[in-house]
Amino acid sequence: MTSATLTLPKAATVADGFLRSSLYIPELRVKRKSAVLEELAQTLGTATITKDPEGILELLRQRESLGSTGIGKGIAVPHVRSTLVSDRVILLARSQKGVEFEAVDGAPVHLVFLIVAPPIEPDPVYLKLLAEIVHSVRLARVRQKLLDAPTFEAAREVLRVAAAS
Amino acid sequence: MLRDARNPEIATHEESLGFPMGNVKALERTRERLASRIDEQLLKTYERVSRKSPRVVVRVEGGVCQGCRMSLPTSSASRSITPASLENCQNCGRILYRL
Repeated sequence: MTSATLTLPKAATVADGFLRSSLYIPELRVKRKSAVLEELAQTLGTATITKDPEGILELLRQRESLGSTGIGKGIAVPHVRSTLVSDRVILLARSQKGVEFEAVDGAPVHLVFLIVAPPIEPDPVYLKLLAEIVHSVRLARVRQKLLDAPTFEAAREVLRVAAAS
Repeated sequence: MLRDARNPEIATHEESLGFPMGNVKALERTRERLASRIDEQLLKTYERVSRKSPRVVVRVEGGVCQGCRMSLPTSSASRSITPASLENCQNCGRILYRL
């Protein structure tokens, strides 16, 4: 079965409803994958998305053991579903210099979109968010605009426009 | 996670987006390692429920089991859950949790 057979809702978009300013890291403090995952999980804890950031971190590590979510072109989209969260949210993190993420193309990652969601069955919204992010950042100019965005709101607007294109 | 990796629909969708899902064996090994730490009786309950319900552990929201959508008895809905006293839905048998 291909993704085309999945029924994905048109309503939910990344920019509207899932991104939050409290889940925006304009510049990652760390440079390596393991530390990046820690910073992401800690941010979820600080933003009270989860009471158990360590549990989320372990899940992120397990997901990466399945295959790297660094999909190339400077993008990583780690994603997990867990009972440790009650809402679907997306954390956006940037790194101007790039972080080592064992990406499929071996290139440094500059933009990280972390998706966490509760384990709802089925959850077409979760799959749609994954697809929308990949679609939105396929163009180099969108990726550059995200890196250049001076504020969270500006970055959100870039994604809003990219999703609609 | 392992369930998603084994689900052809989800796995194909993810792979079509560029996410490799090849190393399912690694997840299976982790699952085995973690399962060996779980109380035998509890694991049996999990396996039994999983045969009829793909998602065994479900959230309680507003006093309702999110697996079968049945309201839980008031006494059950207000009970706090600890690892030593896991609660099952009296209707569907799923293991319940609250956030």
